[in-house]
Amino acid sequence: MLFLLAAKGMLRNLFRSVLTLLGVAIAILAFTFLRTTIEAWYAGVDAASQDRLATRHKVSITLPMPRAYFEKVKDRVTGITAVTYANWVGAVDPKDERAFFANFAVDGETYFETYDEVVIPPGQLAEWRTDPTGCIVGEALAGQKGWKVGDRITLRGTIYPGDLQLTVRGIYGTKRKTFDKSTLFFHWKYLNEIADASRKDQIGFLGIRVADASQGPAIARAVDELFANSDTETLTESERAFNLSFLSMFSTVLKALDVVSVVILCIMGLILANTIAMGVRERTHEYGVLRAIGFQPRHLALLVGGEGLVMGIAGGVVGVAASLVVVNAFGKWLEDNFGQFFPYYSMSTTSVFLGLGLAAIIGLVASLVPAWSAARLEVVQALRRL
Amino acid sequence: MADPIVELRAVEKTFTRGRQPVKVLDGLDLTVEAGSFEALMGPSGSGKSTLLNLIAGLDRPTAGTLRVAGEDLGRLSEGGLADWRARNIGFVFQAFNLIPVLTAAQNVELPLVLSPLSTAQRKQHVATALRIVGLADRMDHLPRQLSGGQEQRVAIARAIATDPKIIVADEPTGDLDRHSAEEILGLFAKLNDELGKTIFMVTHDPLAAERAKVVRRMDKGKLLVA
Repeated sequence: MLFLLAAKGMLRNLFRSVLTLLGVAIAILAFTFLRTTIEAWYAGVDAASQDRLATRHKVSITLPMPRAYFEKVKDRVTGITAVTYANWVGAVDPKDERAFFANFAVDGETYFETYDEVVIPPGQLAEWRTDPTGCIVGEALAGQKGWKVGDRITLRGTIYPGDLQLTVRGIYGTKRKTFDKSTLFFHWKYLNEIADASRKDQIGFLGIRVADASQGPAIARAVDELFANSDTETLTESERAFNLSFLSMFSTVLKALDVVSVVILCIMGLILANTIAMGVRERTHEYGVLRAIGFQPRHLALLVGGEGLVMGIAGGVVGVAASLVVVNAFGKWLEDNFGQFFPYYSMSTTSVFLGLGLAAIIGLVASLVPAWSAARLEVVQALRRL
Repeated sequence: MADPIVELRAVEKTFTRGRQPVKVLDGLDLTVEAGSFEALMGPSGSGKSTLLNLIAGLDRPTAGTLRVAGEDLGRLSEGGLADWRARNIGFVFQAFNLIPVLTAAQNVELPLVLSPLSTAQRKQHVATALRIVGLADRMDHLPRQLSGGQEQRVAIARAIATDPKIIVADEPTGDLDRHSAEEILGLFAKLNDELGKTIFMVTHDPLAAERAKVVRRMDKGKLLVA
């Protein structure tokens, strides 16, 4: 009966209840959407290969290392099944300089053996290997730019001066959904040819595949010991840690998203509290009647709290359902256009339950003060209020 | 002579308005016999409703003792008082005070929710109460679908659903036309005569007071000698 009364109380002012419910739903939608965005950003980290290590300059990921390190690691470190190297190039499409996409100069012989989740038709891979100015592009990037195999494209250097004249020799897909499908790879040798003297024979990082993932930490130590006390010391870490250090460049943005999602929930909590308090004020006389016929203060607190809980859960269900629709519709577009940031944009089960749980908690917390006010009403005073 | 069901001794009630204490009840003594039907009359501000609230356990006296339905109300906690009201008191208000979103049957069932009765037993009590007030065919109607007289009859059904010892009524005919008022007063008389309910009614209406077996008058916080 109390539940019935709480439910009917909510429907009493249908317009206000619908607006409040929509408010909760939109807050939950915004929250789950932002959570999904953050999770998608970290998807590459979470899906990092267990048996791969990355070696970079000990001081910063942005500082280069000598290419000779590749040979030394390959020859001297045991327990390695593949090793490769690459450089972050940071070139842009002169036709649309603001449309960012990742591009790497990689070793043609070893890169795709180490990163074997990249799937390239064998014929295209062979073609690329024989073309010094050939490049491989992700299917999302190719679709976005309208590039096809055989197209000649020009990229303008930002870190490295000058233009890169490239020919598309292959289009890659991936075995893993979380791997970015909008990156461009071309030969490191080509980059090295056009680089000025200070940047020649330099690489950005080494990718190392180990035979036994449990030996990863020992192998990482062995690699770093090779270059200890040299001018360029290294830091070798798991691929997950490496990806994290790469993402740390965007940590302020991610933190801002986190804060915004919490602020949205707090604002909604306050609005909901105000709405429930309004309802309590309007029903003070009825609460007086209930108290008169024997209802205890705790019953009124339950009634008001129940109303807040029902409102929160209902808003949460609508919000999460709307999120699923929006994330599905928007996710594909994000993957195609911002694949380097969101290689796999999908709402996790954790986000669904987090959204629902937080909606229920907001409803309960928002009703705490109104419930307390209702519980401490003096019967005679309440009956006098109309 | 029947046993007393209400006994007030030297009861005082003082309110504070602003910083001024206002004595509303001034050393009141009152005995109401079980099974009586009493009307309390008096001008506005004489303390009638305050006295009714004390008898019904809605308020506490500033001084004096108050024994109703065998319980010293001064000894009960707030929660204990609420339980006591649920068991012993049936309320009838001037403005009916039905919950507008609940049907007649659901309104009558409300006080029974607090009892240990099963759902089936509650339904049975509701049906009986509505039959007594002559509204068995209106149980699924919402208050706004009923006339004023019918609403007050639902309120009376709610008041008797838990089979309380005392029914307190605050201006029960105040919002009703003459015909409906007669029906309600007839119902009170029936509850008193046939079911033996003690009825304590505050009213301004002399015609309503005429239906009571005992009429008391108050002025300036004191009961006048009949």
